[in-house]
Amino acid sequence: MIFWISAALLTVGATLLVLLPLTRRVKAPVSDNQYDVEVYRDQLLELEADEKRGLIDHASSEQARAEIGRRLLKSAKAAQADEAVIRPAKSAMREWLTLATVLAIPLISWGIYAKLGSPELPAQPLAERLSRPPDQSTPAELIARAEAHLTLNPDDGQGWEVLAPIYLRIGRPDDAVTAYQNAIRLNGDTAARQIGLGEAMAAAAGGRITPEAEAVFRHALELDPKDMRPQFYIIDGWMQQGRLTEARDLIRKLLVEAPADVPWREQAQAALTRLDQEIAGDAPDVSDIERTGPDASQVEAAAGMDNQARAEMIEGMVAGLAEKLKQSPDDVDGWERLVRSYVVLNRPNDAIEALGRAKKVLSADKIARLDAVADDLGLVHEPGEAEKN
Amino acid sequence: MTVELGHFALILALALSIVQSVLPVLGARRGDDRMMAVAVPAAFTVFALVALAFAALTAAYVLSDFSVQNVWANSHSQKPLLYKFTGVWGNHEGSMLLWVLILSFFTALVAFFGNNLPPALKANVLAVQAWIGTTFLLFIVATSNPFARMNPAPVEGQDLNPVLQDIGLAVHPPMLYLGYVGFSVCFSFAVAALIDGRIDAAWARWVRPWTLTAWIFLTGGIAMGSYWAYYELGWGGWWFWDPVENASFMPWLAGTALLHSALVMEKRSALKIWTILLAILTFSLSLLGTFLVRSGVLTSVHTFATDPGRGLFILAILVLFIGGSLALFAWRAQSLAPGGLFQPISREGALVFNNLFLTTAAATVLIGTLYPLLLESLTGEKISVGAPFFNLTFGPLMIPLLAAVPFGPLLAWKRGDILAVAQRLMTAFFVALLVVGIVLYRTSASGVLSAFGIGLAVWLMMGALTDLALKAGIGKASLGTMLQRIAGLPRSVFGTALAHFGLGLTLLGIVSVSTFSTESVLVMKPGDGIRAGGYTLRFDGTDPQKTANYTEEQGRFTVLNDEGEVVTDLISSKRFFPVRKMQTTEAGIKTFLFSQLYVSLGDAAKDGGIVVRIWWKPFVTLIWLGAVVMMAGGGMSLLDRRLRIGAPAKAKALKPRAAV
Repeated sequence: MIFWISAALLTVGATLLVLLPLTRRVKAPVSDNQYDVEVYRDQLLELEADEKRGLIDHASSEQARAEIGRRLLKSAKAAQADEAVIRPAKSAMREWLTLATVLAIPLISWGIYAKLGSPELPAQPLAERLSRPPDQSTPAELIARAEAHLTLNPDDGQGWEVLAPIYLRIGRPDDAVTAYQNAIRLNGDTAARQIGLGEAMAAAAGGRITPEAEAVFRHALELDPKDMRPQFYIIDGWMQQGRLTEARDLIRKLLVEAPADVPWREQAQAALTRLDQEIAGDAPDVSDIERTGPDASQVEAAAGMDNQARAEMIEGMVAGLAEKLKQSPDDVDGWERLVRSYVVLNRPNDAIEALGRAKKVLSADKIARLDAVADDLGLVHEPGEAEKN
Repeated sequence: MTVELGHFALILALALSIVQSVLPVLGARRGDDRMMAVAVPAAFTVFALVALAFAALTAAYVLSDFSVQNVWANSHSQKPLLYKFTGVWGNHEGSMLLWVLILSFFTALVAFFGNNLPPALKANVLAVQAWIGTTFLLFIVATSNPFARMNPAPVEGQDLNPVLQDIGLAVHPPMLYLGYVGFSVCFSFAVAALIDGRIDAAWARWVRPWTLTAWIFLTGGIAMGSYWAYYELGWGGWWFWDPVENASFMPWLAGTALLHSALVMEKRSALKIWTILLAILTFSLSLLGTFLVRSGVLTSVHTFATDPGRGLFILAILVLFIGGSLALFAWRAQSLAPGGLFQPISREGALVFNNLFLTTAAATVLIGTLYPLLLESLTGEKISVGAPFFNLTFGPLMIPLLAAVPFGPLLAWKRGDILAVAQRLMTAFFVALLVVGIVLYRTSASGVLSAFGIGLAVWLMMGALTDLALKAGIGKASLGTMLQRIAGLPRSVFGTALAHFGLGLTLLGIVSVSTFSTESVLVMKPGDGIRAGGYTLRFDGTDPQKTANYTEEQGRFTVLNDEGEVVTDLISSKRFFPVRKMQTTEAGIKTFLFSQLYVSLGDAAKDGGIVVRIWWKPFVTLIWLGAVVMMAGGGMSLLDRRLRIGAPAKAKALKPRAAV
């Protein structure tokens, strides 16, 4: 309401201010030429002053005086002529324009504002928002308030404890890591907090159980050997790193040791079956990419390296893949990855050579697939070699 | 409420601006005094309303009101208070609002000081100002509204670009805009004269203070921007011929030409039509400058946002104002009475010479700036026109101009005697020659060009002093009389001398830095030392620091003299701003008289050392000091009391008046 009153007052005030001169009588006008006369008078005075100061000599001063004098006479004559012209005191056009102005100012301003403005939205200074009662605040505001509180009282362990899982849930894992670390530092080392920390670290690494996170889970396990969660996270991490046998053995061990009615038995059993198949090589190689790809620590290391070292690391990985394919050549995915890697590394000859080697060992349908990949990459190759096999 | 009231005030200002655009012009054409009189209160009201809007936006920034989208996108609750204020114009929308605020401020000033203007001229000038204002307000409201709201409001903002979190942001943009927008007044006077078809006798005199004011601010804005880039970007350069820099340099060149041609017009009623054209061109270049950096055509730290809709609007504004005013000029220029005649060798002639070179230089910079843009938009080919182009074109244009500067103020109006002037400048010439000799001897004749560059700078400075000395009557009068005469000289004479002296100082700085500065890049470990410019710089190690909105890696250095004594310590650092995930360099700079030691930190090396770039920059501060002296010259000229002209009293009161 105050807003509408203020806006109305502004509009009325502004309209009145420009309206006043339209309705008020102005002093009788002076001709433009009269202004020129005045200027030339000034110039003559200035000329005298300059001459007195010795800035110009007498001759040029006289010359200038004559020139200015001529202009002055001309303007004075024109000014006299202007005096004779009588200007209109009343004008129909002015009256129409006055009306138009009175209408235009409110119409334009209120019209545009109605389209663009948000009159219902109050101003929301941050300090005021953060001091509202909690039940009137949004979750984001509550978090901001807690943060502001913790900036001032960084040793409030309870605060960190509450905030940490919230951070993790709203997708701020880095902040969650800090919060859990603070909670552990201030409230003591417990398995639950360590597990939270490990989860936050994994979330921050995009779901990977990094070696640091694994260490945290191991520590949690020491604190509470009965809690199964750290075990499963560790197994998860091993599977990500391709340490399948170790993962399988640990699951087996857990299944043997656990009572028969644990709720996770069925899930663990399923995982065990899948792992067994994978190790035997029957199941499709779903985790192969992860297995031979760089793990999180390697990626982290790569990010810290300079270009030269990074290139070396990548070359090393490609060489490893090529070696592996020599041992077990019947792996069309592996070949495809190798060809792609060579293209990325800008080694087209090696790519073509690898393509040729692959075709010698693979079956026809797999060669067709590789050919499609090669086409895709724009490699020149010789199709039809498949028939030879 | 404050935010919405600011929004409403902005829109109301637009409505009033439209009224101010129409009524006074119609009034002037019909000789209707009441309609013309609308202009003055409208100008004041528009200024008050835009100021209200600006205050509302500033309040939203200071109070971290993140329900305002602009505040959310460019501020952060933990940002230091100063940057909450300066952040208002550290973004596209806010900077446009600042532009309009300054425009309406200048318009209000014209209305306030314009009592001595003929009513028709005043009405037309204020109306043309309102045309510009209306267009910009429309642009803001339609495409760049700083008052757009967000509901629900986020609790934290995205912070200001860290590069802009610097005291430079408090000074550089407002000064630059005061310069750009100041020229709008000259433009409006020119267009008003064209509309009216007559140039009043005092036209040049009325325009001159505005030209001077704008020129002073633009000089300051450019110099400040250059110094800011110098210490913030960490490259040790002070001018890069970057399109954004050129954008501000072009109006400066044209404005400098305008300053000089307005002088001829004021004193001699000559060059009238040319001056009108220059006034139009200068503001056109200012508009181009504003929009080149705003439209997103140029990618740089100044490009806050890119939006095709805006680009089109901007193009329309440029076509409307530049094309419109030039068309008006082509149509009406013949109806203006031409001015007085003069000999080629005369003060007027010298100023024409100055104008020719300055406008050609501005054209050169314009080509060098726009050509790559045009080529890219037409053929998609990216070329870079950098320092080599400008050194080959702009440099040679400047040399004859600078060499001629000392002659100008000494030549007489109408017809001058160049031989006599040359004779009077002999002392200055020999001093300059002596300096060239000394530099050649000291640098064992290797730096011929730089020696002559320094000689030119000395010639400029000595020429300015010679002018003062001669006007004081050196050799003809006693010391007492000379002092008396100096005191009696009009301030504009000092203004000229100061500005030309400052130009020499800047040139001296530029030449010595370009040729005598030394640079070394090396990996330093704590305890390492390196020689730079007669001092030894010792690296003491790094030190992490943390503040509310950034973390900092400080490199600590000690500067030692030849005896191994500690002269001063020096800190150069890298800052990391977590909100924007951006890094900035804070160069460590120590000034020794006019020279500077400049240290910038690079990346950490593997073995615990850190890459350090060290420059010794002899006389570098003269570049900006010269600009300050030029500004002082402009200010001196502005204070010249002879600028005041009384309004004519009614016919009956036409009695001789005392000089004011």
